[in-house]
Amino acid sequence: MKPEYQVWAEELKKEFPNANSALMPLLHRIQTEEGWLSSEVLDEVAHLMGLSTQYVESVASFYSLFYQRPVGKKVVHVCVGLSCMLAGSDEVMHRLEQKLGISEGETTPDGAFTLLEAECLAACDLAPVAQVNLRFQGPIHPDEAEALLSEEVSKQ
Amino acid sequence: MSQASHYLLRNHDIENIDEMAVYRAHGGYEALKKALNQYEPDALVELVKKSGLRGRGGAGFPTGVKWGFLPKDGRPRYLVVNSDEAEPGTFKDRELIEKNPHQLIEGMIISSFAIGANQAYIYCRGEFLFGYETLVRAVREAYEAGFIGKNILGSQFSLDLFVYRGAGAYICGEESALLESLEGRRGNPRLKPPFPAVAGLYGMPTIVNNVETISNLPPIVTRGAEWYASMGTEKSAGLKIMSVSGAVNRPGNYEIPLATPLRSLIDDYAQGMKPGYRIKCIIPGGSSVPLLMPDQLDTPLDYESIVKAGSMLGSGGCIVLDDTVCIVKASHRLIKFYREESCGKCTPCREGTYWMADVLERMEEGLGDANDLSLLMDVADNISGKCFCPLGDASIGFLVSAIKHFRDEFEAHVTEHRCPLGAKVYDTANN
Amino acid sequence: MIRLTIDDQEIEVREGTMIADAAARLGIDIPVYCYHEALGPLGACRMCLVGVEKMPKLATACTTAVQDGMVVHTYGEAVDKGRKGVLEFLLINHPLDCPVCDKGGECFLQDYTFQYGPPKGRFKEPKIQKVKDGPINEFVLIDQERCVLCQRCVRFMDEYVGEPQLLLDGRGVETVVTTVDGVPATSQFSGNVIDLCPVGALLSAPYQHKGRPWNIERQESVCTMCPVGCTTLATGRDGHIVRIEGRPVPDRSWGWLCDRGRFGYDYATDPTRLTISFLHANPEAAARTTRQVGHWMSDVMRDAGPDSIAVVMGGLHTVEEAHQVHAFAKNVIGTSRLSISRDVPGYVPRVLNGTYADIADADTILLVGVDPYEAVPVVHLKLRERQKSKRPVKILAVAPRDLSRDSLDVNTLITHAGQEAQVLGWALSQGMGTHPAVKKLAATAPVGVADEDLTALSEALGSSEHLTILWDGLQNEVGSVLAALADARGEKATRILPTWGPSNWRGFERAGFSADFDALTSLLEDARAGKIQMLMTFGADLLREYPDERLVREALQKVPHVVFEGLFRPTEPSLYGAQLPQAGPGEVAGTYVNMEARLLSATPSVTPPGQARPVKSYLTAWAHALNKPFVADDDWDPYGDDTADLLPFDGIQAKVWALKPPNLGNASGMELVTGALVIENGIPSHILEPRAPKFPGRISPQDAEILGIVGQGLVRLGKDGREIRVPVTVDERMTPGRIFVPLGMASCPVNRLGLGAVEVARLEEVPTT
Ligand SMILES: Cc1cc2nc3c(=O)[nH]c(=O)nc-3n(C[C@H](O)[C@H](O)[C@H](O)COP(=O)(O)O)c2cc1C
Ligand code: SF4
Ligand code: FES
Repeated sequence: MKPEYQVWAEELKKEFPNANSALMPLLHRIQTEEGWLSSEVLDEVAHLMGLSTQYVESVASFYSLFYQRPVGKKVVHVCVGLSCMLAGSDEVMHRLEQKLGISEGETTPDGAFTLLEAECLAACDLAPVAQVNLRFQGPIHPDEAEALLSEEVSKQ
Repeated sequence: MSQASHYLLRNHDIENIDEMAVYRAHGGYEALKKALNQYEPDALVELVKKSGLRGRGGAGFPTGVKWGFLPKDGRPRYLVVNSDEAEPGTFKDRELIEKNPHQLIEGMIISSFAIGANQAYIYCRGEFLFGYETLVRAVREAYEAGFIGKNILGSQFSLDLFVYRGAGAYICGEESALLESLEGRRGNPRLKPPFPAVAGLYGMPTIVNNVETISNLPPIVTRGAEWYASMGTEKSAGLKIMSVSGAVNRPGNYEIPLATPLRSLIDDYAQGMKPGYRIKCIIPGGSSVPLLMPDQLDTPLDYESIVKAGSMLGSGGCIVLDDTVCIVKASHRLIKFYREESCGKCTPCREGTYWMADVLERMEEGLGDANDLSLLMDVADNISGKCFCPLGDASIGFLVSAIKHFRDEFEAHVTEHRCPLGAKVYDTANN
Repeated sequence: MIRLTIDDQEIEVREGTMIADAAARLGIDIPVYCYHEALGPLGACRMCLVGVEKMPKLATACTTAVQDGMVVHTYGEAVDKGRKGVLEFLLINHPLDCPVCDKGGECFLQDYTFQYGPPKGRFKEPKIQKVKDGPINEFVLIDQERCVLCQRCVRFMDEYVGEPQLLLDGRGVETVVTTVDGVPATSQFSGNVIDLCPVGALLSAPYQHKGRPWNIERQESVCTMCPVGCTTLATGRDGHIVRIEGRPVPDRSWGWLCDRGRFGYDYATDPTRLTISFLHANPEAAARTTRQVGHWMSDVMRDAGPDSIAVVMGGLHTVEEAHQVHAFAKNVIGTSRLSISRDVPGYVPRVLNGTYADIADADTILLVGVDPYEAVPVVHLKLRERQKSKRPVKILAVAPRDLSRDSLDVNTLITHAGQEAQVLGWALSQGMGTHPAVKKLAATAPVGVADEDLTALSEALGSSEHLTILWDGLQNEVGSVLAALADARGEKATRILPTWGPSNWRGFERAGFSADFDALTSLLEDARAGKIQMLMTFGADLLREYPDERLVREALQKVPHVVFEGLFRPTEPSLYGAQLPQAGPGEVAGTYVNMEARLLSATPSVTPPGQARPVKSYLTAWAHALNKPFVADDDWDPYGDDTADLLPFDGIQAKVWALKPPNLGNASGMELVTGALVIENGIPSHILEPRAPKFPGRISPQDAEILGIVGQGLVRLGKDGREIRVPVTVDERMTPGRIFVPLGMASCPVNRLGLGAVEVARLEEVPTT
């Protein structure tokens, strides 16, 4: 574990009037650093927050953006919400699966990409829309879906 | 139709209004000064009551009335702004926080002053990374300018404002689940009563309002309650942002006076259907509401009229389904959304959405049988009114109306064992 | 009070009562899964739907508080359909493996489905697959597929017990109950989730596939593992007890048990159990052994007189058995050398004895020495419940080690070992020094205790309106202070709960035996002095129990005929002339008295194994041998006339005497500190093996460092040429300079050394576990 995590935890605990509120911000921050939240990390976070590991694990597992398995360098979320579906998101997902040779929910063996479904991303005006490391991209024409993968994105 | 001026989506008129300097150059934070200088907090609550502003988060509860529920017992109070927008078809709050964040912040400061809160929170949906960053920056700017912090503009009023990021859970848009999440817990809805106004964040009286609701505050303070109430109808006053998506020429957010006809929203604002597409049906207020049929296009978009027409204004997410859309596929997609997003606390929602999604999937694949339709209706009935929070009921709103209006199409899937519209069924390994 | 109508019956209940509880009071059954009164409303399962007039939707009876004039219907078309719907939902992802499920036949999902559910399933889709038979720990299994996500278990562990060792993982229909990364739950209370689980998701591992509801029988019983006396249900099958469950008693107990009580039932079949007789350590037929004992008895009575026979009562005997032994000793033998086996010297007279209601009613609770979690676990839950209730309570402790835990906030005044009486006495004389009883204590100022701590203690003792004290009895003189305290506090309630064993000591006292420690000591001293020719112990293993092992050993060596009756082979069999197998709890009918002085009766579920038999049969045989009549007085009744199920008052008054300044020993060694561990109380259990502490001793991190121990290690404790070896763990809660060794563990008999200063050295060899 990195020593700065302790510093972050203290910072965040101070930022919120109730220290417990610092849990999710801390998880976000550490995930950005580590890419995902291993059980060791959750254990460490529990320790830093003065909470039980059970508690932290239970919270983390509730939220789809806390990754409890390793993810690729680029996490591609394809919105499958109704508006995006009407605009062809099925096809976008299909093309990406073909291109990457993986199914939705999986990570390429080289660790470059993780392909995930997203529920309505509140960007239906850009339908069909996707996020690469949570940066919006859209509208994505199915024929240009592959371009999504080479998109330069800032680290989230 | 182009609109001369916007009051909420001011970014449509003014470039870079997300920057403090630009926002101020166009009258930004003047409403705050006015509120602090010319109003007592109670008078602001009155002003909001008189304006007729209703919550834009979905339920349409009168905002001033809600503020009036706060017990006057000297305990700390909180304002929490709900920016968890995830109701399918709704994307107005995202635009507001990304493009016009200072108006929300100004509205929050005014609202906090009005209700006597010295701490305010924005709960920002986890997926809105850019919106979150924008808010964080804008809040910093507001602190630097002295609009947030101690003794704001010499008024003795102090406020701290926190931006909090969710992590992917639709249910956290429900206000009590939101508060749980804000306290660092799983986003399970809380038992009510007590309502947040009595025991909310950290057990203290709390007002939860939607981004759009609060963004209305600066123009209302600047222009007055009468101005606001002069738009719309008596019961549905003012402006509403409608998010339009589907096969229209110009999908996007439109700020309309309430009671604008649905037809005008689609034809004038969104510039009509794309060539070759016709309207099959419309979801007027986000995925949780029953659909409207093309013959109901003259329905005025106000809370009461839409209810009369059999649906709800909800969050204002207007999804236009065109005639190429398979109703079973659309229903399946929406039910799957609720299945994915059910928090799992209560039985009917957790199990019922799972069941319905499976039945619809089978139907869509042509594997349905004769009993499936009545089964779906009965499962929906067993969910209806029996769940812990409104998500369960929301999950069946569209489906039940779809079966009512498009029974033939559902039945055709079962009898013909295929989609009569030839909709493609995608089969991903993990669907 | 609120008046409402449920199914045409009117009822008045307190404001805030939920419809479900109001209905229960009327005897109206509303099905629930997630709701449990001890845990409060949740509203998750939606099973408890009822119709309330003027409400548009069905309401959940568990979350809807009663209102004046409310009219509730618990049946009707809408309610019936609602229940049916919920049950159908619960069943869709349920594996329906009732034929192989231990809960089959006693499952709320089955029962409610039978009563209210759909006759047939309509679900044809694939079910979600989850973990089956996954472990929660060595004792509890989880079948996630059967789980209805009522959250009772999770909430119980988290909110009620305060040891959040179960969690909800995931969201929505994928949610499961589990532990983190399969790390076993270590809580003393983990087994309760089995009782709490309304379906077959949480099951007892040792009971798995051992019985079906139709070929077992449950009997009402009482746990005898510690003096709490939890009420239980015992399941017997094929002559063995195979399961213990908690038995709630309305308005008194929720039916919680600790894992010791729930899973420790296999002592009955332990290999060390005495099931045959021994004469001079050789197996012998029961009849011959009994007869031989009779001969000794008659010889001794003839040659040395009846008073040279001494009788010590102990172990897990019932009050009735003790009464029979007492009657025999008095009337048939005619001896007055009768005593109760004691492992601590303290005593509380009946008049000062409190009940658990005194925990609920107290504004101040004082723990003297005892760690309730370890010694009397379910009382720990009662304390926690008290601490969580709305009325404020102070929980203080005076003890040589820190008694606070994550799950219980205790303000401990840490004393030297053996200094508790002085500290308490001095605190008392600070506030109430003018009272004659307090004066009589002649307390002196303790060294090493901060003045403000003493003042705070003194104030708490003086100002409390209702003071409840839990005492481990380790230091006899505390009894004097407590007597003075009660006297000085006058009208204000001062109640004491004695937490020591044997669990039924108060029952033995009721049967006529003296619980006075000095009586036992002088009995042993007489034996050592050769004044006793025959010593008979019933249920007691003096060598393990009595605080001074050397005295016992020397005494036993001096007595020509030592007769042992008990459940397990005694610590040193060679010291006994005869060993007779005892019939134990669950095998005999009878009554036990718990630390509240409450009588609790138990029905047997099985017959005693092998040659073990009720004590009365031995007594009768000996009476024959002596040619004397023995009237067993079978209708003797331990109950009193006007104290309900509490023991009647016996006229023994509380005694106050002057305190001796404590002897704190030499400065060079460490102070030996001890206390009871219910998990290691000498009653063997194979099932509980994984819970038995492998390193039961405890030292502070500072001392560990000095001794060069990292985490765990082995030490030698020496005193006056005697020594024991103790595997120790580093414990943050220990104070430097103290070493804790549990009471009565065979592997490290602390009574070989006695309390006070000991020399401690690290041993290189690591104990084999
Ligand atoms: C399942 C569910 C999801 C919701 N999601 C949102 C949301 O994303 N944004 C929002 O403002 N309100 C949402 N609401 C409504 C909130 O509970 C709450 O009523 C609202 O934030 C109050 O603000 P308002 O009075 O300004 O409308 C949701 C409600 C439910 C039941
Ligand atoms: S209806 Fe029930 S399961 Fe669904 S989101 Fe609400 S509380 Fe959770
Ligand atoms: S018992 Fe009422 S909802 Fe579970």
